[in-house]
Amino acid sequence: MSTTSGGASGLTRRTALIGGAAVLGASAAGVGVAIGVRAELGQQSSDTDAHGEHQAGIARPATPQKSGLISVFDFVEAPSASTVRESLRVLSAAITACTSSTEFDPLVTPDGPADLTVTIGIGPRVVAAIDPALPGATPLPSFASDELIGESDNGGDLLVAVYATDPDVLQAVTRRVARDLANVLPRWQQAGQRGVGEGTIVRNPLGHKDGIIVPRGAEELAENVWIGGGVLAGGTMCVIRRLRLRVDSFRSEPVATQEAIIGRHKIDGSPLSGGGPDAEVDVRAKTASGEFVIPARAHVRAAHPSFTGSALMLRRGYAYDNGVVVLPDGTSVADEGLLFICFQHDLDTFIKTQRRIDEVDDLRQYMTTTASASFLVLPGFSATQPLGTALFA
Amino acid sequence: MSLRLASARAIATAVAAALLVAVSGCSTPPPSAPSLMVVTVPDDAATLEAAVDAVAPGGMILLKAGVYFEQVVVDKPDVTIRGLDRNATIIDGEAIRPYGIVGIADGVRIENLTVRNTTFYGVLVTGLHDENGPSAHNGSGYTTLDPEAFPPLQRFSINYVTAYNNGLYGIYAFDAQHGSITNSFASGSADSGFYVGQCPDCDILVSGNVAENNAVGFENANASLSLTVVGNRFSNNRVGMTLTSNYLEAFTPQSANVVAGNVLSGNTSSTSPAQESGGYGIGLGISGGQSNVVANNRIEGNPRAGVVLANTEDLPALDNVFSGNAFSANGVDLANVSAVRTPASGNCVEGETLPTTVPEQLLADCASGIEQPAIGDGALPGGSAPAGISFLEVPPPADQPTMPNPTRAPSVLPDTVERPLADDVSLPPADLFAELTRRP
Repeated sequence: MSTTSGGASGLTRRTALIGGAAVLGASAAGVGVAIGVRAELGQQSSDTDAHGEHQAGIARPATPQKSGLISVFDFVEAPSASTVRESLRVLSAAITACTSSTEFDPLVTPDGPADLTVTIGIGPRVVAAIDPALPGATPLPSFASDELIGESDNGGDLLVAVYATDPDVLQAVTRRVARDLANVLPRWQQAGQRGVGEGTIVRNPLGHKDGIIVPRGAEELAENVWIGGGVLAGGTMCVIRRLRLRVDSFRSEPVATQEAIIGRHKIDGSPLSGGGPDAEVDVRAKTASGEFVIPARAHVRAAHPSFTGSALMLRRGYAYDNGVVVLPDGTSVADEGLLFICFQHDLDTFIKTQRRIDEVDDLRQYMTTTASASFLVLPGFSATQPLGTALFA
Repeated sequence: MSLRLASARAIATAVAAALLVAVSGCSTPPPSAPSLMVVTVPDDAATLEAAVDAVAPGGMILLKAGVYFEQVVVDKPDVTIRGLDRNATIIDGEAIRPYGIVGIADGVRIENLTVRNTTFYGVLVTGLHDENGPSAHNGSGYTTLDPEAFPPLQRFSINYVTAYNNGLYGIYAFDAQHGSITNSFASGSADSGFYVGQCPDCDILVSGNVAENNAVGFENANASLSLTVVGNRFSNNRVGMTLTSNYLEAFTPQSANVVAGNVLSGNTSSTSPAQESGGYGIGLGISGGQSNVVANNRIEGNPRAGVVLANTEDLPALDNVFSGNAFSANGVDLANVSAVRTPASGNCVEGETLPTTVPEQLLADCASGIEQPAIGDGALPGGSAPAGISFLEVPPPADQPTMPNPTRAPSVLPDTVERPLADDVSLPPADLFAELTRRP
């Protein structure tokens, strides 16, 4: 599923084909949806409404849909601000159409949009074209071993993140949304899925519960995730990192070792410092002989926001499995792991935390980062006010 | 520093107060207003808590020799709590109570007694508290001190206190100003023997103290400007002392202390709890500390390093000045282990004899703003730390000198503290206070 440049051109060609068919199919919207199928598709609700103060696919729905497809596009030429504005207008209209219960295209979503959401972000080059002083106008710095990330899997101009219970619609929706954009090409793409969980909490490919400490509710989201004021109020900063995990190697460690690396108990997710699954991690707790109860290099300690004085990230990752890939040195590895996706009001939250993880996290040895990008996620939009309305006012 | 419980308790207290008014009306006088200027325990009050209830503001609680299985909060201004015999007046936490004595009112004096076997801290003075006492270290660290809501305690004195075998700190002051910690002793602390933290302009003197067999002898996190640490013996711990910037607490970065005339030697204790990050064999560690003056200290026989410079996240070790220190027999005298992303700069050694350094070119250019070279932490000599032992199993200290004239009434503590200048403090002898330790 990882898209190389060869696969990218294939996607473009098929985008054109499906786009052509969609025009014919539009009038058939709403006809012939099998009720029995719809019941398993997830519910359309106010939580999946494309319109609102914030884009969907970030904090709503509160339990992320089971399937996701991250697609990153590039403008063929460095875009002007007016090109960006027009692109955002086109994207807004396409998302409105795709997620409408009455106007959806049955050749794209044959059984209706159900819980489909689409989230749009713009990359550093695009942000800088609008205003170099905006947040997100500079690329992420290079972190430990980031030099191994392929050029085509690093950065990008435009994020189209599509989520739904039904994985079958993700590619079609992505193509439909991108269809009317002028002069863009796919850069990289990754599909993922989430297991059964509760809210943001789900087991990661290592078998440990993840997404436990995240901002919840309007107040915590406002404090940690949404940009607070100005033309970007209600927007957020998104970081996506594809983390290949040595799953077999980790899972073959004794459970006690796995728990020491993570800092939580494996089965119920409770912190090693005590309390139940919902208890806060006590990074200061010590044994009588002075050792940390949460080991000094445990992942929960490394990633804990208190050490950097940071806000909380909203993490909303997906597991991925691309099968076996052959590395440049001829060896083959299982390309499986976590498509890490986080949102915060300030990129520094991610940068400071990743620096710590590079330096003091024992989980790091099981990870290889194979894709990386940051995006400014614009505030929400409506049928009459497309993405970027305040920004271009 | 969790404050989760504070608001709920405040509400409960307000409700209780309202009920009291409703029931009693206004005809009943308040019950037994405190009036005693001197309360002797157990003669005048059976317990420490009863003694605090009975004492008048500005009064003194005198504790006769004995072992008190209690903890107590001193919440009235200018109260002195004092033992009649430092070595025989013992407050014992029995490894179940979190603290021994906590002062939360201005002008508190804690003197001439011993506190042992608490799970958190033996003695604490702080402005951060709720109706049930101090709220430090019972939470997650997601919330930090709010200095607006909890202004610093003003004026304190901790003098002739022995604190041993306490789970975190022996003697601890944070969110407090204008005070002194003197003539005291701490051992067997799983974190640090002495700890001063979270004061942006401290006006605190730490002088004439001994710390041994602790994970860290003396620790400072985010205590800045007028903190003066002079004439102490912080030897035979795992790490003698630290000056640290810490985002877990308020007021980063740490800066501008005076550290002078101390003995920071032989920090090789194997009869102590472990330092949490494996620290060992280090005289002085500066992590993200800035513009500190380190003068005329004796820093000898620390097998990893006499002084280690490091960053705290994005806060560099910056502009620290060393002068007149006697370095010898350390693994290396001065080491820089700062991360590449946060290089040290402006750390200079003044004087004719330069210490040994790693890397060798560490001091080649200490001009402010010039990055100083560093090595990885693993490259320090000295081997790995021995296993730690439980704080409850550290051998107790030798008897300590008792306060002169313990029955004499104390004076009210002054608004500011007299602190010596670095230049007024001379190099101490190697055996400074060695007679007070278990291992001279």
